[in-house]
Amino acid sequence: MEYDVIVIGSGHAGCEACLATARMGLKTLLLTLNLDSIAFLACNPNIGGTAKGQLVSEIDALGGEIGVNADKCTIQRKMLNSSKGPAVQSLRAQTDKVMYHTEMKKTLENCKNLFIKQAEASEILVKDNCVYGVKTAQGETYISKAVIVCTGVYLKARIITGEYINDCGPNGFAAANYLTKSLMDLGFTVRRFKTGTPVRVHGKTIDYSVLEEQLGEDNIQNFSFITKKSPKNKIKCYLTYTNEETHKIILDNLDRAPMYSGVITGLGPRYCPSIETKVVRFKDKERHQLFLEPEALTTNEVYIQGFSTSMPVEIQEKMVHSLKGLEHAHIMRDAYAIEYDCIDSTELYPTLESKNISGLYFAGQVNGTSGYEEAAAQGIMAGINSALKIKGKEPVVLKRNEAYIGVLIDDLTTKGTNEPYRMMTSRAEYRLILRQDNADLRLTELGYKIGLATKQRYNIFLKRKNNINELLTKMEKILSPANKSLQMLFEEANETLPKSGIKAKDVLKRSNINFEMFEKYFNEFSDYPTDVKKQVEIECKYEGYLTRQDVAIDQAKRQESIVIPSEIDYNKIKGLRIEAQQKLSDIRPFNIGQASRISGVSPADIAVLTVYIKTMNKK
Amino acid sequence: MVKRNTIAAISTPIGAGGIGIVRVSGDDALDIVKKHIVLLNNKNNNEIIPRMAHLATFNAENFKEQCIVIFFKNPNSYTGENLVEIQCHGGVTIANGILKTLLNSGARLAEAGEFTKRAFLNGKISLDKAEGVMDMINAESESEVKAGYNLLNGELSKKVKTLQDNLTNLLAEIEVALDYPEHDIEEQTSEHVYNELLNIEKELNNVLKTSKTGLQIKNGTRIAIVGKPNVGKSSLMNALLNFDRAIVTNIQGTTRDVLEETYVYNGVKFVLIDTAGVRESTDIIEQMGIEKSLKSINSADVILFVVDSSSELTKEDLDICNKVSDKNTILVVNKTDLPSKIDLSKLQFKHQIKLSALTKANIDDLKQLIYNLVINSEVLQSNLIITNERQIEAIRNALTDLNYAKEGIKLNNSLDLISIDLNNLWNTLGEITGTTSNEEIINKIFSNFCVGK
Repeated sequence: MEYDVIVIGSGHAGCEACLATARMGLKTLLLTLNLDSIAFLACNPNIGGTAKGQLVSEIDALGGEIGVNADKCTIQRKMLNSSKGPAVQSLRAQTDKVMYHTEMKKTLENCKNLFIKQAEASEILVKDNCVYGVKTAQGETYISKAVIVCTGVYLKARIITGEYINDCGPNGFAAANYLTKSLMDLGFTVRRFKTGTPVRVHGKTIDYSVLEEQLGEDNIQNFSFITKKSPKNKIKCYLTYTNEETHKIILDNLDRAPMYSGVITGLGPRYCPSIETKVVRFKDKERHQLFLEPEALTTNEVYIQGFSTSMPVEIQEKMVHSLKGLEHAHIMRDAYAIEYDCIDSTELYPTLESKNISGLYFAGQVNGTSGYEEAAAQGIMAGINSALKIKGKEPVVLKRNEAYIGVLIDDLTTKGTNEPYRMMTSRAEYRLILRQDNADLRLTELGYKIGLATKQRYNIFLKRKNNINELLTKMEKILSPANKSLQMLFEEANETLPKSGIKAKDVLKRSNINFEMFEKYFNEFSDYPTDVKKQVEIECKYEGYLTRQDVAIDQAKRQESIVIPSEIDYNKIKGLRIEAQQKLSDIRPFNIGQASRISGVSPADIAVLTVYIKTMNKK
Repeated sequence: MVKRNTIAAISTPIGAGGIGIVRVSGDDALDIVKKHIVLLNNKNNNEIIPRMAHLATFNAENFKEQCIVIFFKNPNSYTGENLVEIQCHGGVTIANGILKTLLNSGARLAEAGEFTKRAFLNGKISLDKAEGVMDMINAESESEVKAGYNLLNGELSKKVKTLQDNLTNLLAEIEVALDYPEHDIEEQTSEHVYNELLNIEKELNNVLKTSKTGLQIKNGTRIAIVGKPNVGKSSLMNALLNFDRAIVTNIQGTTRDVLEETYVYNGVKFVLIDTAGVRESTDIIEQMGIEKSLKSINSADVILFVVDSSSELTKEDLDICNKVSDKNTILVVNKTDLPSKIDLSKLQFKHQIKLSALTKANIDDLKQLIYNLVINSEVLQSNLIITNERQIEAIRNALTDLNYAKEGIKLNNSLDLISIDLNNLWNTLGEITGTTSNEEIINKIFSNFCVGK
């Protein structure tokens, strides 16, 4: 059977990858170990969060599915950092994990050009360094022009709970046991990473009456720019804390924790430590907060965020019962640590295509990342780039100043990672520009141009963009200090009235004046949708900061514009230190900007390299 | 490719000095030198051992010279290439003769700073250090060497790194609260950030202060001598230089162009500018000279306004007085060897000295006065002087970033916005320290805070 593209794996990367290629008109086969694991939320039942919310809206702006699906399945939501500036505000939604799976499966089933098959990929077929198909454990061979590997945490997965070890993937799903060998035979570096998940308890056995409620927020932005009806808050979450007794139980039983007894060898993330790691590393902290999050409307299972562990089951019982409100809680699923194989992402181009095998792409946790959103972001880009390659078109590589997706993939392919990589706002140097609220303005044009975003989405975007430009032009209007409305506004805001005329946009720069107050007195500005007014408010209020970020971007562009010839031989450049020669030869950066971000390459090396390229160009 | 051809140059200053050193660097350095030397004690030229001093006779084109030859084999040399040092007797003729001989047999004359450039390109020194060495090459006075040398030791880099590290901690504290908003981490207050910024600002300003002295040391302090014709400006210049540079006559308008000469006092370089006497003149050439004189008043660090104590003040004196009164001016009352007729009450200057250029009375006092006026001796004693334009620029930029951050706090902007300017500041400091990867801040977040789901 022949296809254009085969996607291996149906997690969050795989779903975006196969939808992207199929929607771009390519005949696509999705191979999955288990149809019931499509878009499975294996760990926490939420989508978004700081920097991750931005990723979701960016994927949506390009024409991806995660934002639409998350909005459909949201049961509670919050805008994190809402008291802070616009750059760091991110949507985080509790999603119904049962529905999330069924809704995504439905979308895949109804997608034109997409064929879904439950089978285990066992070998990637390669000839003359070009991929041509996939062989399955069941013995079938499928031919294709491109293959996208999105195997998540399933490669040679094993889960660990105390002394109990089971060779399976998350939640008892079967592991993928053949593909690692195929990848190694193809010359890929295979590494072992580790992550973990907490217990799920029965909600009816929790005493919520003694716990602090965590409510959702209304009237906030959706993930997707095409969601028409905003989701409602349907559940409550709760907050509890570890205490002295919990810590004592953990410390008394450290010798039985696989993390400390040496059973676990994989590299775990620093930002998602197990509770035993937190207690050991931060001895002074008297308590650690834990959030109780319902997993779905159709089940009573509750996820304990912050309580990830790989202790034996009996210790887990004791730990849970030491918590306030959970003294009599019944554990339905045990916590476990999971180890899995992944590749070294620096062996990929920024298109996520393998440097050595043409047509072979990788996306998601197999590249050493963590998180649904990070996986989905890579999935859509691998899908887009494999489709563009098959169509004979130029690839799309998002820059660090264009999208968090660009930051993510640049970090992965330039710096690589030694632990499961999580997106953070602090990783983005231009985060005031990479906001969640303007993701469509940054990316929808591109998504439409490459044939992924629909006409319907494009029209919504155009209307919004025109509205914003129109209102921005209006904001140039000069208001006289003799204007009664202006006087009243400034009096209400307790701001000093300027002596001469002031532009409407500069009125918004006053710290005590926001758009809502402004439009009360100037209703000629109020006839626009809320999201449009918000954009304009941000553009006006933060103009100074935005301008300064633009200057920084221009400076960086100069470095990005010095192209490194692909035939360059770093070993022949005498001034480079040996470490830099090796790193540069491995990564093969496209330009000086990318080279400067490689760890182990110093500013002096960059100076040498720049001088070298300049003398090369002179000849 | 880096050009591998062999370069040669005289490494010691031209002029007086007990010895002269000629350096040759490049693949063929030793072979070229071997053609012209005979080792003493009947040793064969192939017996030259790296890093050993060999006594040899150098056969130059017109003379023979006994010298010491030291060979440094690559990569263990200053430039990272094969390098030969020939130590000969002092004086321009000998070193020049040796150099000429080498240039005629395959070496090429090195461009200014080329030895250092090669050292840099061969990874022997960092950019920061290279700039220090570049400054040292051009160092003409003791203090300048000191400034260059400290940079070589990375003093500036060390100092700025401390500031950058403080900022790393501050940023980690702010960033962790932004990336983990639901964790019970104590949030940084704007006041705390503001106070930290004041500390960093103070330190940066201190570094910048040294740059003014540093640049004056590097380029020399410019002193313009002005006055109406025939008050003895040229005599004063000669007296300060201690040799006759300017033509001294009693004919008004003798000095028609601007003369520049340097002298060194207390290890610091001063550039003296003798100007044409300022007066109404019909002579076109003299007029041009006068115009230049007025220009040099504006570009000078110090002005010596010379008047003649043996005659009464004229309108010309007072006109000049108006032009220089708001400048860093020393009133020099010359010709104290003659009877005084001058009434100084109309000339009010903070700094004033009476002297005789002719008898050299009080000349040293004038030198000390000039020195005190421009050299911040506190700065000179400190072990950090910055003289490099690129670094001065970086520090200025850092102060701009810092000011934006301060303004933002005053406007009550939230810390995530302030952190944009703090990140810019961090990166600007990184231009000096070479640390520009934001991984540092992220690492700090994870090592200092217990965060995660």
